[in-house]
Amino acid sequence: MTSLTIPQSPAIQATCAHIDDQKIPPSVFKLPQTAQLEALYTIIRDKETSRGDFLFYSDRIIRLLVEEGLNHLPVISRVVETPTGATYHGVGFEGKICGVSILRAGEAMEAGLREVCRSVRIGKILIQRDEETAQAKLFYSKFPSDIAKRYVLLLDPMLATGGSAMKAVEVLMEHGVPAERIIFINLIAAPEGLSNFCSRYPTTKIITGWIDEGLNEKSYIIPGLGDFGERRYCL
Amino acid sequence: MSNQLLKHVLSGPPIISTSPNPPGKDLKLFQPKKNTVLVSHGRPPWYGENGNLIGDAFVIGVAGGSASGKTYVAREIVRSLGSIPTVIILSQDSFYKYHSPEELALAHANMLDFDHPDAIDVPMFVNCLADLKAFKQSNIPVYSFAEHQRLAETKYLYGATVIIAEGILALHDPSLRALYDLKIFVQCDSDLMLARRIKRDIKERGRSVEGILDQYLRYVKPSYDNFVRPTASHADIIVPGYNNSVAIELICTHVRRQLQERSNQFREKIAIPRPGIKSKFEYTTPSPTPEELDLTVLPNTSQLQGIFTILRDKKCSRQDFVFFVDRLSTLLVEYALQHLPYVPKTVVTPVGIEAPGKQLDANYMCGVCIQRSGGTLERGFRRVIRDVPMGSLLIQSDAATGEPMCLQVKLPAYIRNRHTAEDTWVFILDAQIGTGAAAFMSIRILLDHGVREEHIVYVAFLVARGGGISIFRRAFPRVKIVCAEVDDEMEEGWLEGVQDEVTNPGGLGRKVWIMQPGLGQIGDRYYL
Repeated sequence: MTSLTIPQSPAIQATCAHIDDQKIPPSVFKLPQTAQLEALYTIIRDKETSRGDFLFYSDRIIRLLVEEGLNHLPVISRVVETPTGATYHGVGFEGKICGVSILRAGEAMEAGLREVCRSVRIGKILIQRDEETAQAKLFYSKFPSDIAKRYVLLLDPMLATGGSAMKAVEVLMEHGVPAERIIFINLIAAPEGLSNFCSRYPTTKIITGWIDEGLNEKSYIIPGLGDFGERRYCL
Repeated sequence: MSNQLLKHVLSGPPIISTSPNPPGKDLKLFQPKKNTVLVSHGRPPWYGENGNLIGDAFVIGVAGGSASGKTYVAREIVRSLGSIPTVIILSQDSFYKYHSPEELALAHANMLDFDHPDAIDVPMFVNCLADLKAFKQSNIPVYSFAEHQRLAETKYLYGATVIIAEGILALHDPSLRALYDLKIFVQCDSDLMLARRIKRDIKERGRSVEGILDQYLRYVKPSYDNFVRPTASHADIIVPGYNNSVAIELICTHVRRQLQERSNQFREKIAIPRPGIKSKFEYTTPSPTPEELDLTVLPNTSQLQGIFTILRDKKCSRQDFVFFVDRLSTLLVEYALQHLPYVPKTVVTPVGIEAPGKQLDANYMCGVCIQRSGGTLERGFRRVIRDVPMGSLLIQSDAATGEPMCLQVKLPAYIRNRHTAEDTWVFILDAQIGTGAAAFMSIRILLDHGVREEHIVYVAFLVARGGGISIFRRAFPRVKIVCAEVDDEMEEGWLEGVQDEVTNPGGLGRKVWIMQPGLGQIGDRYYL
């Protein structure tokens, strides 16, 4: 499969040189790697950060991610008359969407989604690792009945090995959603997970904020930010 | 030095005072009220098209003996001048020095001479007056006559066109005199001043005639003879302390003529919005490109186009309008943050690994909202920057002249204090830059306060390329301007008369510049 490197500005290369060497699959889209985005990540990575700050700053990133994800939805041209009487050639949003959050950490991204897409429908899915087989297993799912006709924004903050995300896509496809109508949104991705996911579902787009160095022996993202759901809800 | 303040009484009986206040200072308890700020219908531009200040404030010094009628003269001048912009009456009493514990004890024992020139903190008086004259802000000290002490708090003053500095020694110091455009001495016979004083102190303070006379002879009279009366020679005009309506009328005629002359002289240079009309300052015939204007424009994504299509549609419901304005402003403020400085910072993640990163490198940050339409960006601002102060400016265009008028200035404490203002990053929130008149004025207000031009980030939904933005850019090249879209032109339009007691009492319609295709009246669509 062909792959290409997403071009980066010179200023960014200094801070994440290790990523340049890796090939990023073409279906992966990163947020612009600005200093202020890096500053947001620095806050949520810091283990000393309070829960209030963690909530606020992760929400800011999530909003940016959702906005970026929506840009991959189709639009049609639309002409409107402005209050000043002028004609404006714009675009209209095309196609219905829904969110699907992978429990439990994915739920943390719902508020951000709803701030951008008012009263959007949100499905839920619970996937856990089966201790006997070490495979991701579906425990629970609840989707809008017409999900097959919608574009799906799949929400999970961390993409480590990609096991649960791939299982979620599999479940969605079983419900009639084509892989190319799924947009997977996460805050931090490991190169291993990206490569696993994209080789299996090359047509599903991935929107990520930051690509980290890799995984450690326990499959935690390095440097990562710890357990997103735990930090957001429990600690 | 403090000894100079003391007046040792070597002869005469010890003073027995029933008043807790020092002799000669009874009235001063009332005098914080003497610092008066009077605001009329708004302040027209005080700067030229190059962004620089034009001229300075007109400063009048009023001196005269205690109870000679200085305050009366000052107030009459203000009253007679009528509808001129903001006037500040600054009282010398605010500038009593900070007292040491020994001086404080003497003050409470009525042994401190408050009528002596050494009681006044002249350098501070001069600084404050010079700042106000130069159209800067000033935080003047607050003196408590109950505690005989300068308080920790200060009073913030800004934006006067006319300043009246009033006090018995207002003409005493040469550095003060150098600041006055007009020097007035209120001349009153000693016996009349004493008579007024006795009457006033008995009536208002319940003091005895004996006590009043004693303090008069000990402090008030020597000070008047030695320091106050001689300064009459510096005055441009000597006004009688009674029956002085003719004198005040003459002064006001003079001041009005002076102000008018300045106004005529500056009219040509004042930045008045006239988009589309090629003034002599307008060299560029075609509208400049966003690059030439150095605008930071949001990337033109399909979502952004979709949002604008909804917002520009005149049939857009109010709910939709509010929702998408909030969404757009959030994006816009996120985008604007790229102009802040960041420095490297390394943190340890919960996984136990060090992660190199960045952190914000700004001491102070605040928002300033240009009412009313700038308020539409406030929710987005709060979603991104949750805990910074938010100021507000109310700038309206005058119905008759089209000039912007500054009606209210409410700025965060960071900006009010000059030393923090220099370190403060300010986000100005405004719906659009059309004529650029309000934008121009808001920048000038911040610069007056000492905010650095390169620390100002102007955030607006729309900028009109053919509008006042080029003049704005030439005047303030270092201000960062962040917008979501750039519209091409400005068209002359007619705004239906909105009756407004302040700017448009007749409810007349007025000519305005309208952006095309624009967003219509953003404030109305968001709020009404």
